[in-house]
Formats: sequence, structure tokens, C-alpha cells
Amino acid sequence: MGPQVPLITNYLTQHFLDDAAVGLEGYERLGGYAALRRALENSPADLIELITSAGLQGRGGAGFSTGLKWSFMPADGELPKYLVCNGDESEPGSFKDRILMERGPHQLLEGILIAAWATGAEKTFLYVRGEYERPAEALERAIAEARARGIVGTNVCGSDFAHDIVVIRGAGAYICGEETGLLESLEGKKGQPRKKPPFPAQYGAFGRPTTVNNVETLCHVPHIVNNGADWFRGFGTEKSPGTTLFGVSGQIARPGLFELPLGTPLDELVFEHAGGPAADQRVKGVIPGGLSMPVLPADQLDVPMANEFLRERRTMLGTGGVMVMDERTCMVRASVVIAHFFRDESCGQCTQCREGTGWIHKLVERIERGAGVMEDITVLEDICAKMEGQTICAFADAAAWPIQGMLRHFRGEFEAHVVQRRCGFAESFEL
Amino acid sequence: MVISPETRAAIDEAIARTPQPRGALLPALHLVQAEHGHISLELAAAVAEILGIRSGDVMEVVSFYDMFHARPQPRHHVSVCTNLPCSLRGARTLLAQLEAHCGVAAGEPTADGRLVLGREECLGACANAPVLRVDGTYHEKLDSEAARQLLDGLE
Amino acid sequence: MPRISVDGRIIEVPESRTILQALDETGLLMAGIDVPHYCWHPKLSIDGSCRLCQVEVEGMPKLQIACNTPVADGMAIRTRSERVCSARQGVMELLLVNHPLDCAICDQAGECKLQDYAFEYGADASRTREPRRALKKNVELGPNIVLDQERCILCRRCVRFCDEVPATGELHVMGRGDRSVIETLPDEPLANDYSMNVADLCPVGALTTRDFRFKVRVWFLDDVPGVCTGCANGCNVTIGVSKNRVYRYQPRRNDAVNDTWLCDRGRLSYKRIGSGDRLAQASLRGTASAREPVSCGTAVAAAAARLQQLTDAAGAAALVVLASPHASNEDLFTLRRFCDALGVTARGAAVVLGPQDRLLMKAEQAANAEGARRLGFGPPDALLARVRCGEAAGALVFGHDVLDPAHLGGPEALTALETLVVVDLQDSALARCADVAIPVRHAAEREGTLTNFAGLAQRVQPAVEPGWEAWTDGEVVWRLGAALGLAGFEGAYDVRSVSRELAQAVPGFSGIDLDRVGEHGLSLAGVGS
Ligand SMILES: Cc1cc2nc3c(=O)[nH]c(=O)nc-3n(C[C@H](O)[C@H](O)[C@H](O)COP(=O)(O)O)c2cc1C
Ligand code: SF4
Ligand code: SF4
Ligand code: SF4
Ligand code: FES
Repeated sequence: MGPQVPLITNYLTQHFLDDAAVGLEGYERLGGYAALRRALENSPADLIELITSAGLQGRGGAGFSTGLKWSFMPADGELPKYLVCNGDESEPGSFKDRILMERGPHQLLEGILIAAWATGAEKTFLYVRGEYERPAEALERAIAEARARGIVGTNVCGSDFAHDIVVIRGAGAYICGEETGLLESLEGKKGQPRKKPPFPAQYGAFGRPTTVNNVETLCHVPHIVNNGADWFRGFGTEKSPGTTLFGVSGQIARPGLFELPLGTPLDELVFEHAGGPAADQRVKGVIPGGLSMPVLPADQLDVPMANEFLRERRTMLGTGGVMVMDERTCMVRASVVIAHFFRDESCGQCTQCREGTGWIHKLVERIERGAGVMEDITVLEDICAKMEGQTICAFADAAAWPIQGMLRHFRGEFEAHVVQRRCGFAESFEL
Repeated sequence: MVISPETRAAIDEAIARTPQPRGALLPALHLVQAEHGHISLELAAAVAEILGIRSGDVMEVVSFYDMFHARPQPRHHVSVCTNLPCSLRGARTLLAQLEAHCGVAAGEPTADGRLVLGREECLGACANAPVLRVDGTYHEKLDSEAARQLLDGLE
Repeated sequence: MPRISVDGRIIEVPESRTILQALDETGLLMAGIDVPHYCWHPKLSIDGSCRLCQVEVEGMPKLQIACNTPVADGMAIRTRSERVCSARQGVMELLLVNHPLDCAICDQAGECKLQDYAFEYGADASRTREPRRALKKNVELGPNIVLDQERCILCRRCVRFCDEVPATGELHVMGRGDRSVIETLPDEPLANDYSMNVADLCPVGALTTRDFRFKVRVWFLDDVPGVCTGCANGCNVTIGVSKNRVYRYQPRRNDAVNDTWLCDRGRLSYKRIGSGDRLAQASLRGTASAREPVSCGTAVAAAAARLQQLTDAAGAAALVVLASPHASNEDLFTLRRFCDALGVTARGAAVVLGPQDRLLMKAEQAANAEGARRLGFGPPDALLARVRCGEAAGALVFGHDVLDPAHLGGPEALTALETLVVVDLQDSALARCADVAIPVRHAAEREGTLTNFAGLAQRVQPAVEPGWEAWTDGEVVWRLGAALGLAGFEGAYDVRSVSRELAQAVPGFSGIDLDRVGEHGLSLAGVGS
């Protein structure tokens, strides 16, 4: 059955090429669950210390220190406490978590169990995006195997630690990837993010202290436990250690999933690993981290793919979903697609987000049709500014940033649509 | 429309796995929809009763999530991802071809109730664009001929 | 108590509150510090979604919503900085993107928070060129409430109200994003006993009451504080009056009584004021048993003559007095003095019982049943027994509550008496067969105080004048006393001096004074004599 996408592998993904390693037996043959056994011999505090010193940052988009997040959990024993593994992956351009769940379910379970031990959680809710039926099945199968072997259950690997893992499937709402939207969804509600305070570490799933971690984040954990913080810091940059999974898509010769150290230059990723654009084409722009992140124009692809460098270019690593657009592509059309997505997926609570995403979409769509006026472009910039940093969750920022990026680097295309009263990109995809 | 004993048993299992009955709402709706194709008001009331919540709480949830349907559905759902990565690799052209092939616009069911073509947001299979989802199963890297055949093969 | 600074002003605020709660509880939100807000409401859970209440908090890089940000000692808040104003302006502009431009035909115009804030924060609605959302208008959510989905700004106040206050949960936000709409399920209309509160809560014209829609423009209404007379809870109301007509009751906030709510039945009880079944004419019953219209003065004189005759013939013991639980403390005190002077001991007050709930509604269907009890007008059972067995020869009855099946069930027992004097608000079956019928004023037409079930004295004031000659119960009694030549009923009736006397004479009412009762009532000490 194979890994389903072209891969460049490293420690997270090297066993993905081997079908036999998907199951428990194969996974253990490669040394699987040794990290869990070792972790159980260590105190939670030591594990938190290890993950903190390794510098692991969340791979769900925000890049927050995983060790620090774990330390927010109340250390005293009052149960229940929960761990939530965020497998909602719905960020357009991202497909890493799907492959991690489908091809390495035990690696994820091992990461979950270590994190649960470190944070004192008695149960994990593994929230899998509703459309991901196959990954959810793979995980269910893996959990059943692990339970049968005493790896999940009342005595994890023979220890006193009891832990249960429950897979919950989403039902088609991007916003359930936002951690508090996810918590609401888990509780059987609409996935509308919660206002903060309170934070999940105080009041999380079902009102109990909860840690939320991304699938990929947790997959790194066993490797850190096995090999140590220094080993982990041997990958990536000083501020962003480790590898990550870059999902490269769009107008590119070899789209695929590439596990590479953080800090790998974007041009290396696009031109070497992904084979660059089609023979007669040139890259126009690259979205470096999923649809929420501002685009970079062709002359800025030398940036190392780590937040400390991407921030200087006013964009972010996000989920590592790299989308390449060549010169045929109309950036206004691309903006319509982006704006439509965020309009479609806004949960609708916050004024700026609900109304702003709708307005942006209508505006961009009108400009694309050739019915825009110059003032529309200013209004567009202004709405984006008013959506930023003012809402319950970061969705509104995520809706504004890519449009701001397009305006920053490709404003000329918007103006041309207004002046020519039509789209001038004959070879672009049609809406 | 009533919830079958098998589905009911599966719902009870889901309830046992979550700290509060309401936590089993999404699993329950998946199960009920798998059995009945949609979540009618009547079924919502039955689910609500099992979980000790109101029908309205259930219908709100049904209305919020794209995968739940409050109304009867055509036999098959065929959706094409039209988000950016797929659009960049021909998904919209593919969708237009399928619309022509089936003689309906996206979003409208065919007259015989056999299928509905839809647009979908990113399905997380971007490296294999374009992507088609047919009743929950992904079909990746499809050209238009293969896609047409796939559709013609649906009952 | 934490000390915070708001726009440079140092204030002490209660512990563990959010900024808006603290400002509300210290009364500053109404006076001087304006933090505009839509979704927050003092009596509902915090929603935090409209984002209008953002303020600048020193040391925090982002603006914070005042409704959900906890206060902390030393916190410095700015509510009028340029950043804050620009954020507000942004929220307002975005809210107006889809809002219909129909203020001219909107019932909410004049008390619309969207209109107010748009004006105040200079939102520029003209920048949008896009078509507005087309949604359902005139949706009948239930018997009393109509929804215009296009005007809704999705603050969810109405939804939270139904979930949290009556806990009936009929309203839902269905859909997602900018397709979100307020709806009920087809088989679950908004029909709880408190449904009309959602119209007050709705900051815009999306929810309106069927009763008030299109009747009058709100800027023509004068607001007079009053008290609902529907039951013993004594909910505080604002009476909306135009041209001497009452158009509505709206809740007036009183945290000790009704928070910010009214029950629907109470809210609609304003209709009794202008109702066609009011007793609008004093009358005597002539020999031909037809009612002869007379002036109130003539009626009082006739009543006095009949009472005199009765007591002369059979003694004061032959007279029973039924007080009205709708009358004011001052009325009842005057009646008590009247009974004392005349030597009548058979006194009581019939009260009608109705449904009650855990929220506001009390079983006693009268605003001053408690006051009547405290002034010695207790349960009428013994007294009615005397009427039934023919021990009484005459009755002086205020109101017609005694007709309730729980009491007499009909007028027969009373009409059989030699003398029946009825003083009533309505042209009731009792008034119709009285020897003398005298109209009185409604609580919204008079000065006085009412004691609610919990012993809180609350003031009522005239909001309208009846269109006919009518006095208060107290003044009728006073004039009767004067006509009978009783001591203590000299000179003109003056409610203020009666009130002062009440305070001195009845221990349970000490401290009561029309002008001291204030906006939120005065809690009376223990049970009176
Ligand atoms: C709109 C939005 C969507 C998100 N979607 C996802 C998602 O699909 N998967 C995910 O892991 N994190 C997602 N996140 C980030 C989560 O809120 C959260 O930060 C993350 O799951 C924490 O895990 P980490 O610290 O391991 O990255 C999203 C955030 C926002 C604001
Ligand atoms: S920012 Fe958007 S998605 Fe996030 S809570 Fe607000 S409305 Fe919902
Ligand atoms: S109807 Fe009114 S109260 Fe209800 S959500 Fe809409 S604006 Fe708010
Ligand atoms: S509860 Fe009683 S006093 Fe309050 S509004 Fe209803 S009837 Fe009037
Ligand atoms: S009042 Fe604070 S967000 Fe609405």
C-alpha cells in the first residue's frame, strides 16, 4: 500500500516506506515503545525538563514551546486531567498529520502515552478530522493492538500508570482545529472557540485541566526521549530545533512530503527537493505554511524555513504546507479562493471575523470580475487591519494575513484588474 | 425513522468512552447518519433523548458541521477539492468536466437522486491533487477520464 | 478590594470581577464611563463575541475585551484612546456591512444600540458596495415575538436568555459563519412565560414584541417608573406613555426584585389600565335596579348614608370590610383607621392565587397582598363564613378578588346583604350588583407604596390620568370617614401625611416615606402589627 505520497524521510518518517512497520509488531521490531518504557522510569518533571531543553515547538501552527505548555498543567494529583491530540488537520496545503496517523499510528500512540505520563493525564482524546476515515481506522486498529498488549490500559507497559485513548472523529469544520473549538466539539457542541481566560490547562475538555498537542508534535517526543535533547538540537536551527514535515503542493514538478530540518531554505525545498516549477515556467510566489500564512514572492525564497527568519519576511511557518504558484496563476483569483475558504469556515461568533471574512470575499471576488474600483483595495487593507488581533481566536488573523500578503507583494495585479476591468491571466485556473 | 438496536448499542459504547453523555454527540450523529443518510428532526430528537440534551442542541450541531445533513441526500456524494493546491492542479477544470458529464451544477443533485457533485475545502491530499471524495473515500491524482468512469460506476 | 484606574480615574472595585462587571456594579457604566457593548449583559453569562467592548490595558499588547478580562489590583485601563476608538469604529463598520438600511421603518429606531453607537463612533457604512444578506423577515418565533433575521447582529443575548433564565432553550444559532441565523425548531416555538424579555435584550430591531410593533414611535414615549401589579413579586417597570395612554411596560432593573426581567403576563398587564372594562363611573342602584350614574361625591355620600344606617341599626359588628390587595399601603392604612374608628373588626383581604415559578412569578395575584397582611387585613375565610351564614348585614368591598372560586365563587352571597358598597378598578360582576359602586385609580394613576412578597416597599407614581373622575382607595375611604363624621378624617386627603402617619403608627412600616422609598424600594422591618 506504500506511503501514498513521495517522501523524503528522516527520523519521523523513515519507517513509513515499510508497510510492515505500520502494525505493532513491525513498529516494536524497529525499537518502538522503548522510549515509552524509558519515560515511565523517569518522573514527569524530568520529562518536561527534557522536552523543554530539547526546544520542541508545537507543530500545529503556533510554534509554542511544548515543554512549557506541559508545565502549565496543575502538578497536583486531582483527576481527571486530559490530553488532547489534535489531528484535525484542515489547513489547506497540509497533509502531514494524515500521513503520520496513517503510516505511523504507533509512533503517535507512543508520543501520546509519554505526554500523558508527563502531564498526568488519565485519558487522551484523539480528535481526527471527520474526512480522515482511513487515518481514524488506522489509529483504532493500533489502539486495539496496543490495548491487547497492555501498552494502553490500566497498567501501561506494566507500570502503575493507567491511560486510555479515545478516537473522536470531527465532522467537517476547519475551526475545530483551533484548540478550544476542538474542546467544544469534543463536548458535543458546535466547534466555536472559547474566550480566554480560562485557558485549557485550567479549564479544558469537560472543564478539566487539559493539554492540547498537535499530531506531529507528539510524534517527535519518543525520538527525543530515546536520543536526548542534544541529539534533537542537532537538527534545525538554534531557535527552531528538529525536523519537520513540509508538505509541498501546487505548481511544482514533484509534490510530496519532505521531512527536513527546520531552517532548510525555502528555495532548496522548492527547487531541489520538489523539483521546481514545470519546465517552461517560473515561480511567482510561494505560500510557506498553509493557507493562513502570507505569500512570499519569487525573490524572497532564500528564507530559511524557521519562524525566526520567516517572521522577518512577515510570514510564518504555520503547518509547513508549502504551496507553489507559477507565473500563470492570477494572484487575485488565488485570493478569491483563500477568501472563500475563510468565509466558509469562520465559526461566526466574532463580529470582525464573521462580517470581515464575508466582506473580504465579496470584495476580492468583485475585483477579480473586473468590477472593482481602486478604493476597494484600500478598503480591503483596512478590513484586514481591523480583523487582526481582536477576536476570540486566531482564525480572523489567519483570514486577514494571506490577503495582506497578497496585497503586499502583488498589489499591482489587483490594480490591473481594476484598470483593465478584467483578469489578464489567460492561463490561470478558472474560478 | 427509528434508531436500530445495533446503532443504539454503538451509541451507548460511545457514551461509555466519554466523561459526559453529550461528548458522544458527534459519534452518535455519524452513526445515525450512516444508518439513515441524514439527521431528521425526529432522529435528532431521538439522539437528544439518549444523550439527555435538547433536540435544538443536536440540530445546532448538525447545522454547524459540513458532514452532517438535516435533509435527505442523494445516494452518493462526490466532491472535488477546490481549494488552492488542487485548483493549481486542475481541480476546477475537472469539476467543470464532471458537471458537464452529469448535466448538473455543483450543489444540485441529479434528477434521479443518484448523486450530488460538490466542492470541498482542502481534503489534506494536496500532493496528489486533484482529489475527489466519493462517499468518504479519497480518489487521488485523477484525470478526467478516470473520474468520469468512477462516477458512471456509482449505482 | 482591588484599585484600578480607568481613564486616569482611580476606583475601588469588587474582587474577582471582569472589567465590565466591576464598572456595572460600581454604577460607573451608567455614569461617566462608557464602554459600549452588545453581547455582554449584566444578568447573562459572558459571551465575548461582539468584540465591541475592547479597551486598552496597560502592559497588555493587544486590546482586551472588558466583559471578560478580570480586574487586578493596579490595573490601568483606557477606554477612550485612539486605538480603542478605532477598534470600535471597525466593529461598528463591520456590523453595518450586512445590516439593512431601514431605520426609517424599523420599530427599534430611537432605542437601537446599533444606531446609537454608529452615530457615536462614526462608523462609515457607505464604504460597502456589496449586496446585503437576504434573510427571513417577520418570522413569528412564538405568540409574542417577531424576528427579522436581517437585522440580527448575532450577539446571542436572546439565545443565552432562553438557555439560562427560563432555561427553556428555544432559540438557537443555526449555521456557521456569515450564514448564522437565529431560529427555533419547527415544533418548539418561543413560548416560555418570559419570552418577551428577548425583545428588551435585543440591542437592535431584530426581535420585537407583537404587542408593541408599529404602535408608536419610541421617541414619542415618556418613561415613568412604576411597579407591575400582576403578582406579589412587584417587578419594577418603566411605563411607556404617550398622550395619556400607556403603550407598554418594560422591565426596570432592580437586582433585589426582578433583575432586568418581567414575565409576559405581567408585561401585558398594562392593558388593564386602558381597558374597556374599567369601572369609569360611580353609580347607585335605584329601586328599578338599574344603575344610576352619579358623581363620586354623590356616591360616597350615598355609601356613607347606607353604612350609617346599617351600623345604627345592627351595630358595627354587622359590617364586614374586605380590603383590596391591589391598594397601596397608604390606602390600607387609611382603611384600617376607618375600621378602627367605626369599630369594625371583621376585616380581611381576599387574594387570588395563580401559578408561580422559581423565577419571578408569585402565586398571589396582587401587588400588595403582603402590605394588606401587615396592616391587619388577613385571610378572609372567617369573615366570608359570617357572610354566608347571614351574620353580616352589609359589606364594604374593595376590588372583586373575592369572586374567585377559592373564595365566594360569585357575587350572590354578597348581593343578598342589605348593603353592598363596592369600590373597584373594574366594572366587575360585583360592581355591577352593588348598591353603591365607586371607581378607583390604578397603580399607574396614583401616588403610593406597595409592599411586595418579601416586604420591600416600592413606590408608584401617576403615569397617566384616568379619563373619568376617580380617586384612590385611600381617598374614597377618607371621604367616607369624613362623611360619617369619624375622628381623624378632617380636611383634605393628603397621601404624604398619611404616609408619615403610617410610619409612626405601625412599627413594621417605620421609616416609610414616599420620598425615601427611592428607585429600588425600601425593605421593611419584620412583620407589622
Ligand atoms: C484557526 C485555527 C486552526 C487550527 N487548526 C489546527 C489543526 O488543524 N491542527 C492542529 O494541530 N492545530 C491547529 N491549530 C492550532 C491549535 O490551536 C493548537 O495551537 C495546537 O493544536 C497546539 O498543539 P501544538 O502546540 O502541539 O502545536 C489551529 C489554530 C487556529 C487558530
Ligand atoms: S475569530 Fe472567527 S473563527 Fe475564531 S472564534 Fe471568532 S468568529 Fe470564530
Ligand atoms: S436577535 Fe437580537 S438578541 Fe438575538 S442574537 Fe440577534 S441581535 Fe442579538
Ligand atoms: S412576576 Fe409578577 S410582578 Fe413580575 S412581571 Fe410577572 S406578574 Fe408582574
Ligand atoms: S460586550 Fe465584550 S465582547 Fe461583546
